[in-house]
Amino acid sequence: MRPDQRELDDEIQGHLALSIKERIERGEDPKAARRAALQEFGYIPDARESMRRVWYSRWFDAAANFIQDVRIGFRSLLRAKGLSMAVIVTLALGIGANAAIFSVVRGVLLRPLTNRDENRLVYIRQSAPGVGTPNMTFSVPEIADLKSRVTTIGAFGDFSTVEFTMLGLGEPRVIKAGVVSGSYFEVMGLRPVLGRLLDTGDDGPNAASVAVLTYRFWTTVLKGDPSVIGKKIRLGIRNTIIIGVLEPSVPYPDDTEIIANVFTSPHHLDATMRTGRTHRMTELFGRLAPGVSLESARSELTAVHDSMMHDHPEAYSAKADVRVTVTPLRDQITAPARTILILLLTAAAVVFVIACSNVANLLLARSVRREGELTIRAALGASHGALRRTLLAESVVLCGAGALLGLAVARPLVAVVARFASRFSVRALEVTVDPSVLWVGASLAIIAAVVLAYVPRLPSTYAATGFGLARAPRGTGGVQGGVRITPGNNRRLRVFATIQIAFSFVLLAAAGTLLATLIAMQHAPTGYDMRQVLVLDVPPSVVGADRAPTIDFVQRATRQVRELPGIQGVAFGTFVPWRDARGSTFPHFQFSIEGYTPKDGDENPHGRLRIVSPGFFAVLGIPLIAGRDFTDADPNGKDTVAIVSQSVARRLFPNGDILNRKFRWTDQLFNSLPPCRIVGVVADVDDEHVVGGPAFTIYHPVLQMGFANRMFVRTAGDPHALKDPIIRTIHEVSPNQPVDRVNTLQEVRADMLSPERLNAFVVGGFAVVALLIAAVGVAGVLAFSVSARTHEFGVRLAVGLAPRQLLQLVLLEGVLIVIIGIVAGAAGGYAFAGVAARYVESIQPPGALPLVAAAAVLVGAAVVASLMPAARAARVDVLQALRTE
Amino acid sequence: MAKPQENGRLELLQGTLDMLILRTLQWGPQHGHGIGQAIRQQSDDLLKVETGSLYPALHRLVKRGWLKAEWGVSEANQRAKYYRLTAAGKAQLSREQDRWSQLVHAIGRVMNPAPTGKD
Repeated sequence: MRPDQRELDDEIQGHLALSIKERIERGEDPKAARRAALQEFGYIPDARESMRRVWYSRWFDAAANFIQDVRIGFRSLLRAKGLSMAVIVTLALGIGANAAIFSVVRGVLLRPLTNRDENRLVYIRQSAPGVGTPNMTFSVPEIADLKSRVTTIGAFGDFSTVEFTMLGLGEPRVIKAGVVSGSYFEVMGLRPVLGRLLDTGDDGPNAASVAVLTYRFWTTVLKGDPSVIGKKIRLGIRNTIIIGVLEPSVPYPDDTEIIANVFTSPHHLDATMRTGRTHRMTELFGRLAPGVSLESARSELTAVHDSMMHDHPEAYSAKADVRVTVTPLRDQITAPARTILILLLTAAAVVFVIACSNVANLLLARSVRREGELTIRAALGASHGALRRTLLAESVVLCGAGALLGLAVARPLVAVVARFASRFSVRALEVTVDPSVLWVGASLAIIAAVVLAYVPRLPSTYAATGFGLARAPRGTGGVQGGVRITPGNNRRLRVFATIQIAFSFVLLAAAGTLLATLIAMQHAPTGYDMRQVLVLDVPPSVVGADRAPTIDFVQRATRQVRELPGIQGVAFGTFVPWRDARGSTFPHFQFSIEGYTPKDGDENPHGRLRIVSPGFFAVLGIPLIAGRDFTDADPNGKDTVAIVSQSVARRLFPNGDILNRKFRWTDQLFNSLPPCRIVGVVADVDDEHVVGGPAFTIYHPVLQMGFANRMFVRTAGDPHALKDPIIRTIHEVSPNQPVDRVNTLQEVRADMLSPERLNAFVVGGFAVVALLIAAVGVAGVLAFSVSARTHEFGVRLAVGLAPRQLLQLVLLEGVLIVIIGIVAGAAGGYAFAGVAARYVESIQPPGALPLVAAAAVLVGAAVVASLMPAARAARVDVLQALRTE
Repeated sequence: MAKPQENGRLELLQGTLDMLILRTLQWGPQHGHGIGQAIRQQSDDLLKVETGSLYPALHRLVKRGWLKAEWGVSEANQRAKYYRLTAAGKAQLSREQDRWSQLVHAIGRVMNPAPTGKD
């Protein structure tokens, strides 16, 4: 229905024909008639335009023009393939990194939890900053006190983690299980996907042993088998019935596979657990009573907690400074990730800035090259708006392509960043690329497109009228000598390059600092001889938790494994260094040694309790400093013995007379153990912290304590080759014995350092990307500067400058840009760190080495990047260079 | 309704062109040139419609559904677009005619008031 251009023209031609015919019939000369008819009609394009305007709005035309511009831009970019690829890849990296990190930030920090009314859900924590315990958890009597007195919290839910040997679902193995009272799921506001969850009917010592599976366990291990409901399994000593599957939810505070009622765990029923005020192992959650604000709950809970501490001064020493905090559950879960994610977001933004300034540089150089083309268009009547539109169309094409590629990159990046963030917040495990990333990508692309379209300078009217045009044909002809560089453009190019260098320097310095930390950790002495040591989890088998069978198992297994070829030593213990310290806060217990009295106001020292078999120290390479190791003869007789770490000996008995003194635990849990005679002193090892410090450790012999669940083997050759023979031998000794997590000690250590490695990897990745982009930027600026100064170089060569000197000149130019950038980056970085340190605690000033290294890398990159343009400058042919003018 | 131009012609008053076109087409389908000539002849050469306003007006009327356009062959033996009044166009014409007589009457009253204030 809308007439097209052709139809409008036909109509106008029809009119003119009639008009001419009429005039001729009136007797006019055909030529004159034609002229008169045209004159009478007026300016044809105007008429046609006003007819079109009836059918097509201005917006329609603007859009059509823009599409046309985009098409032209697309074609002209196809001709500059190298430049386009550089721009698109650069933008894709910038946009992809931002989109990925944004989706993790959104998934971790902003998305609500699945729990019903999650904003009413709080996490209650007891901490003792005075003795460096950020989370001391609660004991059952403490929870009972709070429950009976607090009114602002409608209901409490408690959760504690235990380990069970599980039989009846696949291989016998030890699993982590949550033990909760019946109110837990109601308070947490979680629903079952299958069967039912635990409720108050499952509480008490007369209930049946029942358990709920977590969604992850059900879907991964059981492949979502619905027939699992009602199945009987064995958890520890109890026959347990599976009653339901929990919906997917954030596993906090601990990622367990199963959640059982209190009856399932015999420990939860015994007197220590029920009446020991200092026997703390339970996490506490609450749901705010209707209409109660977080602040009022906080103040009531603090008051009740204070009066509770007042009633039981023996359980809360003044030095420990015990306090209670109430946090919304979501904040609690996400808090540790907040800092690191915001830092990552900053790093991603920095990469985006670098990417944009690099692209700006490339486009600026390109626009200078095509100044001729723009000048001609301006001279032919294209308005500034139309020229700007052409540039905008090109940058839209570039940024659109960059954004698409960036979003493709975002998917794998999300996986990396989510893995990175998952160690700070369990929520990161469920992060996927979310659709909002599209919006982030699109808006970043639009911002970039608009900014980039305004980077090039348009030809001035002066240039359009004469001066510029006179030189234009050469420029459009693609002759490099025709490129003019104005001081303004040159300055802008250098500014952009300097910005890139400055930001890259900051990132490189950060990455260098992280790397230095990692290397320091990897080389930190651990006190162990970690080479060729295998560690195995051998949890007490189903019935074998008693003394006699354990001792028998340990002795027989030690003997038989020792007989395998290639075995240098075998020992048992209770604690694999670092691995067993992960996830849970491991308690230290108070002890006393005859002859040592704490200073006034101090309490008894706290120490780690470890149970080891004879040969343990030799297998792990811990030197014996004084006295003797345990022996197989120790259990005979009444003489109970212990070995202490060097710190205990040195700090408590500086005179070196600790041997043969009587030691005993004063902690409620172990004060029934007989006093032991200290028979040896071994070197300090810190088996809980990756970066070791002095540690108070007390070792007891397995043969007297009757307990061990970890096995240590030193091999002569490759430890991996001996895994299978060792496991076979263990099963020969005890067929039902679970064996789990068989690794070398070096692997365990490396695994502990993986967060640091990941840190260094992610920030290092950003830094490498930034470095590459910046190097390309410097090379681009110099290449451009060289091609614009061909004539000048020609003259210099003609007057006797050696090509080598020319090479140095260009190299120096590159190095100068980098040095200015580094200085700017260092200044800016310190200023930013100063500001950031006010909000983020964990920022430390980097050491000198990473800074120097970062600077060296940048200068090196600049020299490499400058080499190609410099070589080109040195190869300038004098005659040709002079002819280009 | 119109002011005299230098060559003695009158310039069309805003909004009256549509009415004149509709009126002209009452006699049967016609092409743009013919419509222009008809208006000129019937006004005794006093009204001359510029092509620059005639054609956009024709397209506007087609767009509103008052005219229908068809291609035909003109006296000059060339493709020409013929415009025909539609039913809606006829209704519009009578509306405009009414409005026009009222306007002429009202303006006449203002410009030539009766001495007594009555007709």
